[in-house]
Amino acid sequence: MYEAPAQASLSYWQLVRRRLAANRYGMAGMFGCVLIIATALFAGFLAPYGRETKNVAAIYSPPQLVRVYDGQLSAPFVYGFGEELDPITYEITFVPDPAQRAEIDFWVTGDTWSLLGLMEFSTHLFGTEPGKFIHILGTDNLGRDVFSRMLYGTQITLLMGFVVMAAACLLGVAVGVTSGYFSGNIDAVTQRIVEFVKSFPDLPLYLALVALIPRRAEPLTVFILFAAILVLLRWTDISRELRGKVIAIRSMEYVRAAVAVGASDPRIIARHIVPNTSSHIIVWATYQLPEIILLETFLSFLGLGVQAPMVSWGTILNQVRDTQALVAAPWLMAPVGMIVISVLAFNAFGDGLRDAMDPYSNE
Amino acid sequence: MNNPLLLDIADVSVDFRTIAGTVNAVRRIGFAVRHGETLAVVGESGSGKSVTARAIMSMLATNATVGADAKIVFDGQDISNYSEEQMCQIRGDRIAMIFQEPLTSLNPLYRVGDQVAENILAHRPMSKSAAAAEVVRLFEEVRLPEPEARRAQYPHQMSGGQRQRVMIAMALANNPDLLIADEPTTALDVTVQAEILALLKSLQRKHKMAVILITHDLTVVRKTSDQVVVMRAGEIVERGATEKVFKDPQHEYTRHLLASEPKGRPDPLAEGAQPLLVGQNVRVSFKTKHGSFFARKTLDEVAVNSLSATIRKGESLGLVGESGAGKSTFGMALIRLIHADDGTIKFDDVQIDGRSRKQMRPLRPRIQVVFQDPFSSLNPRMIVRQIIEEGLIVNSIGATSQARKQIIAEVLADVQMPADVMDRFPHEFSGGQRQRIAIARSLALRPEFILLDEPTSALDLSIQAQIIDLLRVLRAKHGLSYLFISHDLKVVRALCHNVLVMRNGEIVESGPTEQVLGEPRTAYTKRLVNAAFYADATEPADQSPAD
Repeated sequence: MYEAPAQASLSYWQLVRRRLAANRYGMAGMFGCVLIIATALFAGFLAPYGRETKNVAAIYSPPQLVRVYDGQLSAPFVYGFGEELDPITYEITFVPDPAQRAEIDFWVTGDTWSLLGLMEFSTHLFGTEPGKFIHILGTDNLGRDVFSRMLYGTQITLLMGFVVMAAACLLGVAVGVTSGYFSGNIDAVTQRIVEFVKSFPDLPLYLALVALIPRRAEPLTVFILFAAILVLLRWTDISRELRGKVIAIRSMEYVRAAVAVGASDPRIIARHIVPNTSSHIIVWATYQLPEIILLETFLSFLGLGVQAPMVSWGTILNQVRDTQALVAAPWLMAPVGMIVISVLAFNAFGDGLRDAMDPYSNE
Repeated sequence: MNNPLLLDIADVSVDFRTIAGTVNAVRRIGFAVRHGETLAVVGESGSGKSVTARAIMSMLATNATVGADAKIVFDGQDISNYSEEQMCQIRGDRIAMIFQEPLTSLNPLYRVGDQVAENILAHRPMSKSAAAAEVVRLFEEVRLPEPEARRAQYPHQMSGGQRQRVMIAMALANNPDLLIADEPTTALDVTVQAEILALLKSLQRKHKMAVILITHDLTVVRKTSDQVVVMRAGEIVERGATEKVFKDPQHEYTRHLLASEPKGRPDPLAEGAQPLLVGQNVRVSFKTKHGSFFARKTLDEVAVNSLSATIRKGESLGLVGESGAGKSTFGMALIRLIHADDGTIKFDDVQIDGRSRKQMRPLRPRIQVVFQDPFSSLNPRMIVRQIIEEGLIVNSIGATSQARKQIIAEVLADVQMPADVMDRFPHEFSGGQRQRIAIARSLALRPEFILLDEPTSALDLSIQAQIIDLLRVLRAKHGLSYLFISHDLKVVRALCHNVLVMRNGEIVESGPTEQVLGEPRTAYTKRLVNAAFYADATEPADQSPAD
């Protein structure tokens, strides 16, 4: 009689976890992803103001420096700005005005915000006493706080990323698995459809499709239609890749053994085929997110994506689409930093996952 | 032999760093090879044979480390601390290596002649045309037909045996002093295997090379080596002159290994047993399309040409032949896992040809199959319990999960595995254990007939013997009938009552196993039998044929 192996060896997912933990770049990426997702969830708490709160006293006000020294060390505070007119160029410049000093308070009560639309809160991480303002990344043309809007923008941009990724994944997996598993005519037809969709020139098609969205529609409708357009053009890659994988798995002996015990097609697909492609799907999905974020930002920047009053990183950038605005208020470029960080983080995480899930790597 | 020492290794250890911890693949081993001598390194998979060879060539993977006090003395020089540049001087010139898989050890993008010439030019200053002439000479030496024309061929245009000859030519290119052959014939058919071994032997004599032959095949060891080293779990358990070790093995493991060649004969078949699975004029062909888009032609490649077979209740029928003979295709067609174009198939007097997959379902539990490769026949994402349970769920056997668990525990006991393996994943088991799980999956459905498609060919010799014993016990216990597909005549002799010999989609010979293997009538069967049993027959007088 055989003895069972004395020490339980590691399961596949345990191995993946260990390999990922050993990869510093991947772990940094994962940490970054968690931070960004947390930012999106708790944007209302982290942001001192609501997305539409206007400070009419500060239009195009530059970022304020958080100070801790006013002749002696003190609690953090900011100075408001005084306006000065340049006597030669008549250009208005902003100078910190020590008279308008605002202390930074923590756990202040302010605009109400909701967590996932379920619970309402009005506590913010930081803020100032009522009647004074803090804009650490400045304000825009309507006096709205760029920092707060950028955090709220994270919500829409990430939501768009996840929705498009999940829907494209579902569609791509369903088509790819069906096509690969049943082969024959089904395969021939679906693959021609995939090729047809892939042959569209992406950008002109996005622009054309977006132009079809009614301008007067509700922002939510626009959001959904916009997501649908992105999905429509994104599902083909994964379906192609999966079809190949499924064809390989279909000829594995464990699948033939399942046929031999009398298992039905749906059972074989659900129990044998899809679980064995899961690592591929997960890695693909992680790589998709940054791409969708970039695309969404780009289209929203062109004014074609998310519509006001929804805020995404792209719509904030949309405000500086001409040179004049850019020169006047360069701080409106702040979302670029968030975009770079999130794209790097998701890519690093995706790389780490891919390496960790490679069954042949053993280091 | 008292030739001077060529290679002397001592205290060689190799550790692999893996995510799950450090694995000591080889532990402080040492052996010596003299000029012109053949040393066989035998052991089962995972015993560290190949790792040792790669350590000598310093060709280990990047996560491997060789112990600091290892001594590898080659021709009087300690090469264990040689730099990569220094090793490049030696590799392919003074020490050459042949690998197991002739399919993957040649680059598919280059002509074979250029690949051999590359090795010559890397070590000897000569013109390209002189190297080309040298390649032709080498191809002649390894007896490749039409050596001049072969030079311009690509690897895919050659058979496995021919590719292995090219590999040997490449290894011989610079007249090495030492040739390391890592399972050079494992991937080849038995008859080709015998030819390659004979070639190696004659070349060794001619060039007075020393050879380290790594193998798990005791017949090969006995036939070709002077000295033998038996390895187990990274350690040497026994070493000595081959003849002496075979005649008088000292270590228990060597005895165990020698005793594990398939033995015994099948229990006699009951008189007047009824036919269970009958195939008549079964024909299977694969259609390949060729020609241009508008003048599409289909080519029928006949894999199984109107063959008939009858398996009676309680009988084991052997189906032997070399790779590409159509054995598996015929077997799979009989149990309706491959579509047959023509012919009738009856199972227990019920016609099963022409049934759809759905119509076959009620019969599936009675007709089961065990595949060749236990590493791909178990879904890596399922635990053992789920793997065995699937057939039970699909066929509504066992009403509750508890009842099914009971059945699973019973079949695991049948295949001699403890019940606590149920929650383990397949990768935690060795090849032999996995094959037991695969057999348990079939047994759980209480079948009457099992198709065994080379169930032992991916396994080590001693495991092979255990599986054969197990199959014999199970047949007696459950009254099973087997169709046993194999290229290994020894295994077939130990298990099967009757045998069919297949070649190129045809049956060339059939009859009771003893008769067909004892007095083969066709030249082809004779060749198969010679290749499989020849070494036994020509051994020194004290070696009786295995059993």
